[in-house]
Amino acid sequence: MVMSATTDGGQRTLRRDGSFGYVAPGLLLIVFFFVVPVLMLLMRSVLEPAPGLQNYVELLGSTTYLRVFMNTFIVAGLVTVVSVLIGYPVAWLLAIMPDRWSRLVLAIIILSMWTNLLARTYAWMVLLQRTGVINKTLLSLGIIDKPLSLVNNLVGVTIGMTYIMLPFVILPLIGVLKSIDPAILRAAALCGANKRQCFARVLLPLSLPGLAAGALMVFVMSLGYYVTPALLGGTSNMMLAELVAQFVQSLVNWGMGGAAALVLLIVTLVLYAIQLKFFNPNRAR
Amino acid sequence: MLLDFERLAGLRPFLIGLTVVVCLFLILPIVFIAALSFGSSQWLIFPPPSWTFKWYQTLFSDSRWLYSALTSLKIAAIVTVLSIVLGFLAALGLNRGSFMGREALRALFLTPMILPVVVLAVALYALFLQLGLAGTTIAFIVAHLLIALPFSIISIGNALEGFDKSIEDAAILCGASPWEARLRVTVPAVSHGIFAAAIFSFLASWDEVVLAIFMASPTLQTLPVKIWATLRQDLTPVIAAASTILIAFTILLMVLAALFRKGRKV
Repeated sequence: MVMSATTDGGQRTLRRDGSFGYVAPGLLLIVFFFVVPVLMLLMRSVLEPAPGLQNYVELLGSTTYLRVFMNTFIVAGLVTVVSVLIGYPVAWLLAIMPDRWSRLVLAIIILSMWTNLLARTYAWMVLLQRTGVINKTLLSLGIIDKPLSLVNNLVGVTIGMTYIMLPFVILPLIGVLKSIDPAILRAAALCGANKRQCFARVLLPLSLPGLAAGALMVFVMSLGYYVTPALLGGTSNMMLAELVAQFVQSLVNWGMGGAAALVLLIVTLVLYAIQLKFFNPNRAR
Repeated sequence: MLLDFERLAGLRPFLIGLTVVVCLFLILPIVFIAALSFGSSQWLIFPPPSWTFKWYQTLFSDSRWLYSALTSLKIAAIVTVLSIVLGFLAALGLNRGSFMGREALRALFLTPMILPVVVLAVALYALFLQLGLAGTTIAFIVAHLLIALPFSIISIGNALEGFDKSIEDAAILCGASPWEARLRVTVPAVSHGIFAAAIFSFLASWDEVVLAIFMASPTLQTLPVKIWATLRQDLTPVIAAASTILIAFTILLMVLAALFRKGRKV
């Protein structure tokens, strides 16, 4: 963080050097097309169809909508856990393996990250369908007798979302693991710790802040995801973002749509606040 | 021990094996789609019975696909230019300004990047309906600019952090006007940040689906919206062809970015 304006000892004023003017065009855009419309949407959630909180009562009181909240948290939680379990060992290896190889693995990770979201989701729709490659291979190997249903359900969403979120766990973790001094682990080993103890009591705790930050980011991103759950999930695992879209697009119910959007917004902001408070890398230094 | 690649012992095969599996997991679906786009099977049988270009022919002979690709290109190009200009100005102000609430303002600028995009999409859709702008190019540009701008501000802001402002002051002392100094000294000095901002802004718009779904009208669609609408009906190999073109485009941009970075080091 750069701390300016303390050097000249003067008071900060709005237009002291005209630099506020540079920010103005962007600020106008943000205010008119971001702050105002989001506030208007939230207003509609308490004004339509009649002023009051009935939209929120309906949203939080009905079992149908509670199931959607549950689904959203289950999918986001599952994706986070799977991404962390797979991502941690990969990041670990990437942090210590020779550069030549890690560069290749990084290129693959970044390529998949930059590939169009719909192209990636389409790939999984084709791979996971009843007549898809995965079912065919398992059938011909005799592992299963009849095709598994891997798409339009929780399995499909979890695979598709993990595919998208994995880089967001791996990439930040590499830096964290690289910053740990290997001498600390040598010291632990010299003091008699075995491998398991070295990992559980030294390496894992030291990398925990980075791990938690990455996991929380993946969780928050998954909570608000729309495209992949809509295409790979079934009707019985609808997520919150789909609910918002459905209220607005199919049901043209702006009151309920606004209320669902506010719930999603608040959950996201609260989790971000937690992230900033506990895992902000800028704060500790 | 655990952080020494040579002395991992029994853990090494495990970590290497898992990483290889993850790499395959990440790369195979992409390869698979590219292969299927040349396969002759309508039902996407793999390995394909024979090879063909017919899905590309369908794609290129259908004016709706072409038109949506051109729409995407046009919107992404305009968004890129606006994002660089507004991003450069905003980064300059945030970097050098000493006005009140600067950090809060920086956070505000970056918020559209972290919020669930569906919330922004629905809110903008409501606003544009009221303004009579729903389904117009302007709506697309504004929506995509909101999510592209944070990338520009971060990229150009980082580049400005590493630029010594006194060089700009020197140009002014030598007789340049402040804007002349900025355009001819500062802009070239942070060109790598501007280049990164351009690539990220372009991709942010080019690949964006959710905002586009809400901004689109039956007559005005971007390529991702066209893919989305087709996907909801069936899994035709034409989508594989369209996806492969998008993937090729991504690889091209990645190579360009890598070459540019290499060129800078020399």
